[in-house]
Amino acid sequence: MNIIDFKARAEELLPEGANYDACLACGLCASGCPASGFDGMDPRRFIRMAMLGMNEELSTTPWVWTCTQCQRCAQVCPMNIDVSVLVGVARSAWPKDKKPKGIVRSCEAQMRFEGTSAMGLQTEDFVEIIEETAEEIREDSVQFKSLQAPMNKKGAHFFVNQNSREPATEPEELGPLWKIFDYVGADWTYASKGWAAENFCMFTGDDDSWEKMVKQRVDAVNELGCDVWLNTECGHSFYTLWKGVERFNLQANFEPDSLVTYYAKWIREGKLPVNSDWNRQGLKFTLQDPCQLVRKSIGDPAADDLRYVTRKLVGDENFIDMQPCRSANYCCGGGGGFLQAGMNEQRRAYGKRKFDQIQTTEADYVLTPCHNCHSQIEDIGGHFGGNYRVVHLWTLICLSLGILGENERKYLGPDLAKIGLAGDNE
Amino acid sequence: MIKKTRQYKSELAVVGAGIAGCAVTVFAQARGIQTTQIGNSGALAYTSGYFDLLGADSSEYLKDPWAGLAQLRESEPDHPYSKLTDQDLRDSLDEFITALKKMGLSYSSPGEKNHLAMLPAGACKPTFCLPETMFKGTLAMTSRAKVLIIDFVGLQGFSAQEIVANLKSQWPQLRAERMIFPEMESGAQIFPEVMARALEVPATREEFARRLKDIVEDAEYIAMPAMLGIHRPDFIHSEMEKLLGLPIFEIPTIPPAVAGIRLRELFEQKLPALGATVISQHKVQRIEFENKSIRLYLQDSYGPVEIEAEKLVLASGRFLSGGLTADQQEVKEPLIDLPVQQPDGRENWFCESYFDSAGHAVNRSGIVVNEKFQPLDFKGRVIDKRLYAAGILLANQDWIRQRCGAGLAIATAYKAVKSLS
Repeated sequence: MNIIDFKARAEELLPEGANYDACLACGLCASGCPASGFDGMDPRRFIRMAMLGMNEELSTTPWVWTCTQCQRCAQVCPMNIDVSVLVGVARSAWPKDKKPKGIVRSCEAQMRFEGTSAMGLQTEDFVEIIEETAEEIREDSVQFKSLQAPMNKKGAHFFVNQNSREPATEPEELGPLWKIFDYVGADWTYASKGWAAENFCMFTGDDDSWEKMVKQRVDAVNELGCDVWLNTECGHSFYTLWKGVERFNLQANFEPDSLVTYYAKWIREGKLPVNSDWNRQGLKFTLQDPCQLVRKSIGDPAADDLRYVTRKLVGDENFIDMQPCRSANYCCGGGGGFLQAGMNEQRRAYGKRKFDQIQTTEADYVLTPCHNCHSQIEDIGGHFGGNYRVVHLWTLICLSLGILGENERKYLGPDLAKIGLAGDNE
Repeated sequence: MIKKTRQYKSELAVVGAGIAGCAVTVFAQARGIQTTQIGNSGALAYTSGYFDLLGADSSEYLKDPWAGLAQLRESEPDHPYSKLTDQDLRDSLDEFITALKKMGLSYSSPGEKNHLAMLPAGACKPTFCLPETMFKGTLAMTSRAKVLIIDFVGLQGFSAQEIVANLKSQWPQLRAERMIFPEMESGAQIFPEVMARALEVPATREEFARRLKDIVEDAEYIAMPAMLGIHRPDFIHSEMEKLLGLPIFEIPTIPPAVAGIRLRELFEQKLPALGATVISQHKVQRIEFENKSIRLYLQDSYGPVEIEAEKLVLASGRFLSGGLTADQQEVKEPLIDLPVQQPDGRENWFCESYFDSAGHAVNRSGIVVNEKFQPLDFKGRVIDKRLYAAGILLANQDWIRQRCGAGLAIATAYKAVKSLS
C-alpha cells in the first residue's frame, strides 16, 4: 500500500486561494452525504484526519470506494471544500489488485480497442449492429425510410458518443435517439475511434489511463473536425471528458455539450413539437438530476433544461420534483464506479436515500439522462419494493411525437405499452 | 476546448446568498426588478431558524424590542437601525415573512414583544419570529407545561437530559427520554438532516409516531430536535401532531442543523420561481464598474460566468462568509475594496477580556452607508450611486451581541431595494 501525504497533495491540487484549513468542522458535508457512516468514515472525518496527518488510515480505508465523488459535500460546504479530490488521490494509492475489480476491468476493457468501449465491444461489431438496426427502422417505418446513422462523417456538426449498453445488449434502444436526430435534421456522426461514452478510468484513480482515454476521444473528434462533442444520455462520460481536457491540458478543437441542452433547444425552437397529450392517465413523473451533468458540470442551467423538457413531455401537473433536487440532489448511489464495484450491500444502503426521495414523490416513472442512475434506481426499486419504472428521455420524446416503435418500449409499463400504436383507439 | 462564457444580464445584481442577499432578491422581484443573485450560503447554514429583531441592549435581554429600538437610536445614532423607522422594520418583516410563507415556510407573525425561545443546550434567548414548527415551545415555556423532550441514540450535540437539567429548577414538569429512530438502529452517528428527510416518507412518520406513543405518558407537549422535514416542515409538523394527537415543537440544534438547510434549499428553488437568476454556491471573484454597466465575474468548476447589471447590492456578510477579510494590519472589503470603518490599529480590535460586556471594537467594523444604504468613503461621499450595501457587512453594529442579525439583514435589504427602485 502506498501511503500518501494528503495535506501536501491537497495543497498541490486545490485552486489558488483555497485551503482545507478553512474547514470549520461544522459537519454539513457529513450530514448531507449518503456514504457517511460506512467503514466508520464520513467527509468531515476524512478532512480532519487529513489535517491531522493520519495518512495511513486514509490511504487504506475502503470508504473511498463507497464515496461516489459526487461533490455534494463541496456543494453544501459554506467554504466550498471538495473532499472528492482527496478521495480520488486515495483511490490512486490502492494497488491495482486490491481495487474493486469491476471498475478496474471496465477501464482495462476501454484501453484495449480503439472504440474505447468498457464492455469490450469492438468497432466492427458496433458498425454491424448500427447498420442492422438502422435498416430495420427504415424497413418498419415510411417516415424514417431514409434514416441514417453515419460513421466517420468528416465535418459533421455533432460528434455523438454512445453508451455501449445499447449496441451490446439492447440495440432497439438506439432507434429513438436516431429518430430524434432525423426529426430535427441534425448533422451528426459516430466514429470508429472513441465512439463509446463510458469512462471508468477516472474512477479507478489511475490518472494516466484517464488521460489516455480522454486523449483518444479528443483526437477522434479533432480528426473528424466536428464542432460539438455531443454527449448522449450519460452523466460521467461528460464530466470525465471536459474535466480531463482541462486537467491534462489537451488540445480540443470543439465544444463539449449535453444532449439534454439540445433537447431543450430543439423544443424551444419548435423543431421537436412535443406535448403531453399522450399522458391521458395523468401518470406522475419525477426526475433524477445526474451529479456528473448537473452539480459537477453545467450546474443549475442543466437542471432547468431537464425540467423544461420534462414538463413539456409529461405535463406541468404531472411533474413532481424529488427533494432535494437540482444541484443539491443526492447521488443515486450508482456513480463513481459504485455500480461496477461489487459492493452491493453498501451501494443499496447508500441508494436507500434515493429510494425514499422517489417514494415521497409517489411518481409512477423516474426520468433520468444517465445510464448509471438508470440502472441503480431500477435496482433499488426492485430491492426495496418500489412501484416505479425508470425511463430515458428519448423514449418519452418519441412517444410524444408518435414515432416510438413497438419494440422501443422496453422501459415503459403496460400503462404506456400501446400508446400511439395502431389499434390504440382512445 | 471551446467553452462559451455563460452570460447573464439583469437590472440588479446581488452579491450574497444569506438572509440579506435573499431578502434583497425577494423584495426586488416583488417590485418587478429583474435580479441575478450570486453567492455561497455561508453563515446562513448555521442559523437556529429564529429571526431576531433586537434581543439585547448593552447589558440585558429585551422583552420589548420596539422600546429597545427607540433607546438604541438615542444611544447609537450611527447604528444601521438608526437609518430605519419602526415602520420600515415592520413593513420589511411583514413582507419577508409573508413571502416565506408563500414559498412554503411559515413563521410566527411579527408582533409587539420578543418571545423567550429555547436553545440547544437548555439556555434561552429572546427572539422576534419563530418558525411555525418551533413556535409552540414559547407557549409551553410560558405555561410551564408538562413537556416530554426526546433525543436519539447516535445523535450528537443534542441531549434532552442536558436541557432538562438546565431548566428543571424553573420548569419542573420537563422530562427527558432517549429513543431509537426508525431504520437508524445501528448506533452509528446520525444527523438531524437525515432524520428530517426520512420523516418526509409517510411510512417513517407512522413508525416514528408509534414508537413515540410508547413513551409519551401524560405529556402535554412533545419537544424534539429540529428534524420535522426539510422540504415541507409545516406539513410534516401537522402530520406528526395528527398522528400523536399532541402539540409538538422543535428545539434548534447546533450545526449541522436543519433550519439553515431548509432556508438554503427553499431559496435555491423558490427564488428562480420568482423570476430571479440564482447562481448558488459560488462566489463573485471580480467586479468592474463601467460607465454603462457593472460587470461581475466568477469562475465555477465548468468555466467562466459573467453578469452585467445596472445596479448592485453588496450583501456579502462578514468574516465567515468572506465579505470582510482581516490580515495583520487591517480589515478589508475584498471584492470592491470599499473603505472599511475600523478601529485605529489592530491593538484596538479587542478588549482585554473575552467576555467584556462592551463587546469588541472589531465587531463594529464594516461599511458605512448613507440613509439610502449607499456605501460612503471616509469623507462621507457616495462611492458609486449604483452601489448599495445591506446586512451584517454594515459598520456600527454588533449583531451577535445585540441579537439583531435577521432584522438587520431584512430591513436593510428592504431599504436598499426601496432606494434603488
